[in-house]
Amino acid sequence: MEPSQRNTKPPSFSDSTIPVDSDGRATVFRPFSLSSPHSRAFHLAWLSLFSCFFSTFSIPPLVPVISSDLNLSASTVSAAGIASFAGSIFSRLAMGPLCDLIGPRTSSAILSFLTAPVILSASLVSSPTSFILVRFFVGFSLANFVANQYWMSSMFSGNVIGLANGVSAGWANVGAGISQLLMPLIYSTIAEFLPRAVAWRVSFVFPAIFQVTTAVLVLLYGQDTPHGNRKNSNQNKLTIPEEEEVLVVEEDERSSFVEILIGGLGNYRAWILALLYGYSYGVELTTDNVIAGYFYERFGVNLEAAGTIAASFGISNIASRPAGGMISDALGKRFGMRGRLWGLWIVQSVAGLLCVLLGRVNSLWGSILVMWVFSVFVQAASGLVFGVVPFVSTRSLGVVAGITGSGGTVGAVVTQFLLFSGDDVRKQRSISLMGLMTFVFALSVTSIYFPQWGGMCCGPSSSSEEEDISRGLLVEDEDEEGKVVSGSLRPVC
Amino acid sequence: MAIQKILFASLLICSLIQSIHGAEKVRLFKELDKGALDVTTKPSREGPGVVLDAGKDTLNITWTLSSIGSKREAEFKIIKVKLCYAPPSQVDRPWRKTHDELFKDKTCPHKIIAKPYDKTLQSTTWTLERDIPTGTYFVRAYAVDAIGHEVAYGQSTDDAKKTNLFSVQAISGRHASLDIASICFSVFSVVALVVFFVNEKRKAKIEQSK
Repeated sequence: MEPSQRNTKPPSFSDSTIPVDSDGRATVFRPFSLSSPHSRAFHLAWLSLFSCFFSTFSIPPLVPVISSDLNLSASTVSAAGIASFAGSIFSRLAMGPLCDLIGPRTSSAILSFLTAPVILSASLVSSPTSFILVRFFVGFSLANFVANQYWMSSMFSGNVIGLANGVSAGWANVGAGISQLLMPLIYSTIAEFLPRAVAWRVSFVFPAIFQVTTAVLVLLYGQDTPHGNRKNSNQNKLTIPEEEEVLVVEEDERSSFVEILIGGLGNYRAWILALLYGYSYGVELTTDNVIAGYFYERFGVNLEAAGTIAASFGISNIASRPAGGMISDALGKRFGMRGRLWGLWIVQSVAGLLCVLLGRVNSLWGSILVMWVFSVFVQAASGLVFGVVPFVSTRSLGVVAGITGSGGTVGAVVTQFLLFSGDDVRKQRSISLMGLMTFVFALSVTSIYFPQWGGMCCGPSSSSEEEDISRGLLVEDEDEEGKVVSGSLRPVC
Repeated sequence: MAIQKILFASLLICSLIQSIHGAEKVRLFKELDKGALDVTTKPSREGPGVVLDAGKDTLNITWTLSSIGSKREAEFKIIKVKLCYAPPSQVDRPWRKTHDELFKDKTCPHKIIAKPYDKTLQSTTWTLERDIPTGTYFVRAYAVDAIGHEVAYGQSTDDAKKTNLFSVQAISGRHASLDIASICFSVFSVVALVVFFVNEKRKAKIEQSK
């Protein structure tokens, strides 16, 4: 017996060339078409985040020059690296609720506009303290990641959400690798005309301009949901003429937001995913920070070669992270949520083992090969994590994405602080230990359990008769008991 | 995936080149003939606490075959004079680290001059370049053989690198025009955001009045 259709009104874009689900989310992923709001949102989201990654990682390639100019020590450089991730912890946590409140498009643009002046102020740095502060505030721009994933989850349906999340985040992450290649080129070009001490300061104009440009594009061409911008739909509610009803509506909105916040913070799965992301994406960020120095010091390669090796680590995101998302969707289609979780555990465990191996290899050639394979797995693991995030809670999606996203940067800060800070750092041993930690924490996947879909070690709760939908479309979430939450109606068969 | 393959192939080729290069014997600093050359430096300004300015002050540098001579003098082809970091400037700075393996050694990154070997006294006056970073330095001269390998050296300080050191202050890269440009562009960014909000608010009012 099919449920009666709640919404008799046809979708507002019934002329669209792509199939959509009942919420207007695309059920196919076609990145090379710009005719639908879904694919436009996709390109705006990854391009905007790309510019934020480019900005955040535009400083590391120039650190040798900046260190000479400002007489920075290795301890200062390491502290600045930690500061850049610490900055994004808080901003990512805040970005989740902000997306729920004002929508991902506006949140993303605000963040880009406010962090562009920060990257520009890198040209004004004169002391170790101001260098650390700049890196701390530039790190805020990485919160754009939460808006990116939230936006994709609002635009794409469950059967392609892993892929959409993976591609948009992966392509954006390439910005970190590209900046390792481009910033030295920009600096070298400018150094032909200006003294070196001036050239590196002028170089930071380029990422700032790029960031503002993408922010303007997001505002002009983006929309929050398939049906339009979030703010507009909110404003429509407020057109009720009677004063009493307006007050009631406002009160409803405020309590609703608090519920969303508590619903996200109270969901233990969000915190487990944050831990997992801390030791997939967090490890990736830490490696971005230390890998060039590692090859420079251990194998004696020059700065240009070390930068190229580090860039290749970041650039492999272009395929690795989308592959993780794709794998998540494929496993979800075939095995449901249990497939997604098992895939996540396997890929992250392999990444951990490869990282242990990276610290053990003694030849330059072998190290580069292992590093490359490791980059594929660690980035795919990040994609797999965000193939699970959209299913944790549709209602508190922003909060869950924010918790998970900030977990990645917390992981980077903790790892970098524990293993790569201090005067006498043995990077080989630290890299192996980082791999071991990744492997151990991957086991926490076993504790993720959905009553209606199951977990790694057991199937769905027998009390739940609902059909497994983690293979396909997203639906309204339920509490852990599997009961229907009062207030959110569901069609009864 | 094509990009991935191209990238990997490039890395493979680079690695092979590096491997071939690494096949030869590793040369060590301790194998060099120590004290083969007498090196002296005389800064344009001297005295306790004097700090030289990059881009302005000069060094008068002399070098010659030392009185004890060198068993490998016959191999000397070129003398390379370099500016080297003293131990105080190497603390907590791995990119300036001293290594016994010569290809890894980062002590002397700044080249002063390279001249064909001549056993008589040689000298040069060198202006500190504008990109010399702040730090404490000494001067070292390497004797290089026909295939470009170092065989001997002499330096202006002692073995413990504590005597005859001099300090340099780098130039500042900040300029008023750069500060102004950064501030103007930052203001633009914030103003763009404000304009957007005002516009949104105006649109909302228009919709309300309908």
